[in-house]
Amino acid sequence: MKKLFAWLLWLWLSLVIVGAFCYAPLAKGFIGESSRILFFHVPMAWVSFIGFIAAAVWSGLYLFGGRDPKHDRAAAAAIELGLIFGVLATVTGALWARIMWGAYWNWDPRQTSLLISLLFYGAYLALRAAVDDRETRGRLSAAYALLGIVITPFLYWIVPRITYSLHPEPLINAQGKLEMESRMTQVLLASGVGFTALFFWIHNLQCRLQALLDRRAAL
Amino acid sequence: MRRNASTWAAEAAAVFVKEWRCEFRTRYSLNTLALFAFTTLVVVSFSLGPLGVSKSQGTSLLPVLLWIILLFSVAAGLPRAFVQEEETQTATALRLAATPSALFCGKLLYGLSLVFALEALVTPIYVAMTSLDVASPGLLVAVLAAGGYGLAVGSTLVAAIIAQARTKGTLFSVLAFPVLLPLLVLAVELTRNAASGAAPDVALPQLLLYDAVVTIAGLMLFPLVWNP
Repeated sequence: MKKLFAWLLWLWLSLVIVGAFCYAPLAKGFIGESSRILFFHVPMAWVSFIGFIAAAVWSGLYLFGGRDPKHDRAAAAAIELGLIFGVLATVTGALWARIMWGAYWNWDPRQTSLLISLLFYGAYLALRAAVDDRETRGRLSAAYALLGIVITPFLYWIVPRITYSLHPEPLINAQGKLEMESRMTQVLLASGVGFTALFFWIHNLQCRLQALLDRRAAL
Repeated sequence: MRRNASTWAAEAAAVFVKEWRCEFRTRYSLNTLALFAFTTLVVVSFSLGPLGVSKSQGTSLLPVLLWIILLFSVAAGLPRAFVQEEETQTATALRLAATPSALFCGKLLYGLSLVFALEALVTPIYVAMTSLDVASPGLLVAVLAAGGYGLAVGSTLVAAIIAQARTKGTLFSVLAFPVLLPLLVLAVELTRNAASGAAPDVALPQLLLYDAVVTIAGLMLFPLVWNP
């Protein structure tokens, strides 16, 4: 069953890649083929966001719900994956920005917010590395993750006021409608679903691996 | 066990008094903080050169440097409050003696008095040395109060977290700076407004909201961080 899921995920993501390059049309107003990065960049940013939220939920469960080491491992794995996908989203975004805006980095509000979220992820992992005792590590890092989740909304609120944005409209904009060619929407949504499944698949593997490592360390 | 409000306030006050008594025995934080702040101030002011910066540049640049001096001074002195309890192994006694929220408030009050003393020392010298024009001094005082409070409450909570970790010195900066970054951005923006005389608009309520949110988060998370 697990094997079947992994193969289906592989097939799904392969189809997304083919679809991104051969099926979806190019967006108007973009230089060359640069708009195709959308099908990978947006899901990466989305998954990074999911990682952050999921880590906060697991941290809350750990702190308030009986200190189950399972929840601590899940939170840590979510942050690790969120960091990887966040870095990928930043890099793909910077490559695209070089083509469209002429510079890799220009403190666009989205770049800024994502970068500061990455600092949070990094700090969380640094904290985990600095505590030996498992219970203390879980407790402290869970508290830090929850502190992070109450602070970050300020970024989404403050940063856009300070720097102006050239970033294309988000998928769901203020008017609440999708302004995209339907084939592009199909590929983007398929990619989003695929990346989300990929996130939870790797997350599950990582949690199981960490559980085995913990068990070996306890022996 | 239910404790009434007067015991709680007495505990918080006792922690506050104890912190200052310990502080006056060694004067570690006071000396470090004051000297660190003053040295950084001199370095910044001297690096700007004898003529300083032009008036238009100064309004946008000087508030940034002021808040960076304050931030790094706080990072140099404030984490001691909890690190010391772990190092001298007095943390367990403190766990038995006070309720966590009262302890947090006592430590916060101590941090707050330290930060306000620091601001009272640094800001006038900084303004005088860099000849920063302040169009609305009232706003500047309000920003220093609200921003200083935010620095104190954020640092106190992070200090409690890192006190139980292995590498305490550098870890504080790594953990605290992402937390304090929104505060810093708002405080710089408001200090610019105070310098140029512009209205504070939406940034002041946002700063106050940040203070409130971090205080509530601190009161909720601190007991979990503190008690094993």
